[in-house]
Amino acid sequence: MLRVSDLAKQYRRASRPLFSALSFAVASGEIVALVGESGVGKSTLLNCIAGLETADRGAIAIGPQALDIVALDETARAALRARSIGFVFQAFHVLPTLTVAQNIGVPLLLCGVPASEHTPRTQALLERVGLADFGPRWPASLSGGELQRVAIARALVHRPALVLADEPTGNLDPRTADEVLALLLERVREQQTSALVVTHSQHVAQSCDRILTLTPDGLSGCGRAGE
Amino acid sequence: MITMKGPQAGRMRALSQLSWWLIRAQFKTRRAATLLSMLAIALGVALGYAIHLINDAALSDFSRAMKSVQGDPDAVIAARDSAGSVPLATLNAIARDPAVLLVAAVIETRVRIDNAPTPVRLIGIDVFSAAAVMPDLLPRQDEQAAAPNILDGGVYASPALLAQLAQGAKGSQGKEGKDSGTRAGGTLKLLRGEQQWLATLAGDLPAARPDDLLLVADIAWVQARFGPADAVSEGRVRLAPDTDLASWRQAWAQRLPAGLLIRAADDDSARVSNLSRAYRVNLNVLALVALLTGTFLVFATQLTAVAQRSTQFALLGVLGLSPRMRLMQVLLEGVAIGVPGALLGLALGYALAVAFTQLLGGDLGGGYFAGSAPLIVPAPAPALLFLAFGCLASLAGASYPAYLNRMQPLAQALKTGFAQRPPADAAPTAQPRQSGQSGRSGQSWLARLPPRMPKLPLLLALAAFALTQLPPLFELPLAGYASIALVLVVGIASAPLLTQLLFGWLSAQPLPAPQRIALQNVAQAPLMAQVAASGLIVSFALTASMVIMVSSFRVAVDQWLDHVLPAPLYLRSKATPLPQDLLNALTQPDAPFAKVERMANAALTIDPQRPQVALLIREIEPRDPAARLPLTGPLLTPPAALPAVWISEPMAEIYRLAPAQTLRLPLLGREVPVFIGGVWRDYGRQFGAVVISRQDYQQLGGDFQPTDLALWPLPGQEAQASAWLAPWADRYGLEVADSATIRRLSLSIFDKSFAVTYALEAAAMLIGLFGLAVTLAASVWLRARELATLGALGFDRCMLSHAVMLEGALIAAVGLLIGLACGVAIGAILTHVVNPQAFHWRMALAIPWTAVCAGAAITLAAAVLASRYAARQATRLPVAQVLANAQ
Ligand SMILES: Nc1ncnc2c1ncn2[C@@H]1O[C@H](COP(=O)(O)OP(=O)(O)OP(=O)(O)O)[C@@H](O)[C@H]1O
Ligand SMILES: [Mg+2]
Repeated sequence: MLRVSDLAKQYRRASRPLFSALSFAVASGEIVALVGESGVGKSTLLNCIAGLETADRGAIAIGPQALDIVALDETARAALRARSIGFVFQAFHVLPTLTVAQNIGVPLLLCGVPASEHTPRTQALLERVGLADFGPRWPASLSGGELQRVAIARALVHRPALVLADEPTGNLDPRTADEVLALLLERVREQQTSALVVTHSQHVAQSCDRILTLTPDGLSGCGRAGE
Repeated sequence: MITMKGPQAGRMRALSQLSWWLIRAQFKTRRAATLLSMLAIALGVALGYAIHLINDAALSDFSRAMKSVQGDPDAVIAARDSAGSVPLATLNAIARDPAVLLVAAVIETRVRIDNAPTPVRLIGIDVFSAAAVMPDLLPRQDEQAAAPNILDGGVYASPALLAQLAQGAKGSQGKEGKDSGTRAGGTLKLLRGEQQWLATLAGDLPAARPDDLLLVADIAWVQARFGPADAVSEGRVRLAPDTDLASWRQAWAQRLPAGLLIRAADDDSARVSNLSRAYRVNLNVLALVALLTGTFLVFATQLTAVAQRSTQFALLGVLGLSPRMRLMQVLLEGVAIGVPGALLGLALGYALAVAFTQLLGGDLGGGYFAGSAPLIVPAPAPALLFLAFGCLASLAGASYPAYLNRMQPLAQALKTGFAQRPPADAAPTAQPRQSGQSGRSGQSWLARLPPRMPKLPLLLALAAFALTQLPPLFELPLAGYASIALVLVVGIASAPLLTQLLFGWLSAQPLPAPQRIALQNVAQAPLMAQVAASGLIVSFALTASMVIMVSSFRVAVDQWLDHVLPAPLYLRSKATPLPQDLLNALTQPDAPFAKVERMANAALTIDPQRPQVALLIREIEPRDPAARLPLTGPLLTPPAALPAVWISEPMAEIYRLAPAQTLRLPLLGREVPVFIGGVWRDYGRQFGAVVISRQDYQQLGGDFQPTDLALWPLPGQEAQASAWLAPWADRYGLEVADSATIRRLSLSIFDKSFAVTYALEAAAMLIGLFGLAVTLAASVWLRARELATLGALGFDRCMLSHAVMLEGALIAAVGLLIGLACGVAIGAILTHVVNPQAFHWRMALAIPWTAVCAGAAITLAAAVLASRYAARQATRLPVAQVLANAQ
């Protein structure tokens, strides 16, 4: 579902590359945790995979058709994201001028799902994330935990091949964080979507299928979780 | 439209749904800014459209009026000199040409009826030929009344004249009790000079236009009483079918005597259009300025809208909204402002046009078209064109914000918000490595300015200067307008430079904390500061330049009036010669006047496509015309054989004449060589005037029939002089005015004709101030987190609001300073380039420093007030929420 090969990235004016030959793969339906020290480049890696940053070299194949996002132009990348990627951020980014239901419906609009399916699908996901009655509400009236559930629903509503989550619970208190993360993993498993989850929490990492550790020297510890 | 397949159409629908959500949200959250942008666009469209409608109506009305009296001949044979005539012999020769179907001869003169103040056109026609060429002038005999028919001396009045006569009769019935000639069968007393004739009203002119004051009689009847013998005023020619007008005209033009000309319909329309062309274009430029300020407001609104929603757009980008759609969305929002704005503008423009024509007539008080309010008829094509203008203006304003939105680096925008300029490595796929500018470092933007910055403004300023040296294009000051646009660009481009200087100096001063923050804020939001300053630069420059131009003009007119009104008293008869007995009485010793100067008027056609040139025959000392005429250059003495004339500045420029040249003047039925002895300033006759001395005119064989008098009462006898004139004025419908009154009247007409521009200036200033408030508020919003942090660190609201207000004052000061400089430059261009090229009015630059500086001070105060609006927003930010990062 995701295959990264020989990826290199260096920011301009940086003294050394963040990574120079990164290769790994995430199988279909597999949930992989990405851990590493602060500033090592986890977010950058995720952004490269989503096509938000451009890699200097290498290939990133995504989805059943294994399209190489590095080789695509900006418009094609956006289309690939709309179709195949769901994103969950640390800061719960939602559109403040759209209702909760509209927020969740945006990916459906962007990947051209027929209009008749929108309401049932967003409503179904709202129920799956425990916000059944929240559809018509405005984001400003939601708590952080609730907002992150909205973000999770939005990341999954268009049934992407790959979910990318960058410290999805970093801004939540430990108890809520556990709940939200459990929910995320549950829903991802349910949809048999692949996922790459950046986290600082050992606990979170443990509940994934596999842990990847990013260090300045490259990826290490590709073993299964708990090994 | 391309037909789309099912899924693609569905996708388009989905995207337009999303786009509609965003537009709606945008309008809801920024109602005031959006509405004002709409209004500004509406104002620009309304002005442009109203000017178009009014002018269109006035021109067609004017042409219709001309057609109604002149009919629809293929060509007109007329004298070049309004005092001249067409000899019957010539007319007969033309009538014998087999290519000519018929020639309708016409004699026209002006008479007064009883002692009515306004003269009436008396037109003598030959009913048989007139039927074919001038059907609107055909008289209708009143069968009820026992009046003679046209061949027996009956005269016929237009409906408007009949109404006027009836009105006058009602007014005078009390005194005289007799109904002189208000209906058929009645008798009319016609006066011209001191001569008078009685005529019998025999009917009306059913086809005459409702506001024409006309009297029609048989041509022989008119000729017998008013002359000219063996000649007529005009011959109106109908050509045989399939005669080629151009070649016929050319052949005859060579055979005609020099004093005659052949006019065709296209000359008439060209002349009518030339009449108000420059005035029209100037008004259109004003409309364009209004539209541009609309563009600026859309720009400021959309830029701040993009900045405020940068995280939202980045999020949409992450979710898969393509870059093209991010660009389109902002453009669509521009259209969503432009379309309703332009529609509103069309409606407003129509209402304005109707209101203005009712109030001022078809030339907005410009004095080109007399008569009643023309009918406003909107046509679909121009309406669509102006709709498109409005949308384009709005789109243009949205285009740079849309571009910035497309270029926002998504990952960074999500993390840190809006980037003020597109990233240096804007190319989306390839990222060449180069050590260049940083996207967003903590360093001040001032330090990052390339050192070659002053070069661009300097080059542009040179280009602007070069443009002012160019001659007019299509007789319009197009290069002048272009140079004005360039000056504004120079002003905007040099804003960073001045800011740099000002801030360099200020940051070296010891300042309290809020002031430091203000400085830092301006330095950190360069784009916003630039936008806010630009709005003020443009609006203040335009306003100041208009004030400077109008003031220079007014000072010049004032001085000019001094020069052209040397006598204390003036008397004139409108278009009919002064009665001889008055002229005789003035020479008697009992007349209380020390000196009387007489003047006669005529009109010469030099180019049939242009309005006529005034010929002023004056009792002027040929060796010292400067005593009466404000000469602009040297006075030259003519060679012995040639009479001297002095031409007005507009005439010199329109016909490219210079002193010492010999001009062939179409005078008295021939071409008379005259010597141009000098050029004098004239603000009164835009299409040119020639002065010739009475002696020379009479020596050339001219008949001097004075129409105007300049009178110098004996010292101490001013009151007696006025009393002496009063009965004459009453008896002959003459107009007497003292020079102070004429002066006051002229200046008040001047002020009235510039009243429209004052309203526009006020609107421009408001828009500039509003732009400042909007952009300041947005830049405050962008720094919400920063300001909230300061709040959390212990800055109180007062300090924050002072900081924001100081920021506004600083930006406004920079804007006003540059605006003032640009305003003086543009004022000079208007005075020295645009006015001379468009209207042939030259004048010295007179800058009203107190007014301009007071304006700047008021604007600065208003700017500080406007920043209070932004400051309130800053202090109202919910600190906790902002710091908690929930947007
Ligand atoms: N736009 C950028 N330009 C230049 N350098 C950047 C940019 N974004 C990130 N960096 C640098 O790249 C490195 C990796 O950043 P990244 O955000 O990927 O780290 P991270 O592993 O996600 O850290 P954290 O766990 O703290 O979120 C950091 O040293 C950072 O300073
Ligand atoms: Mg990170």
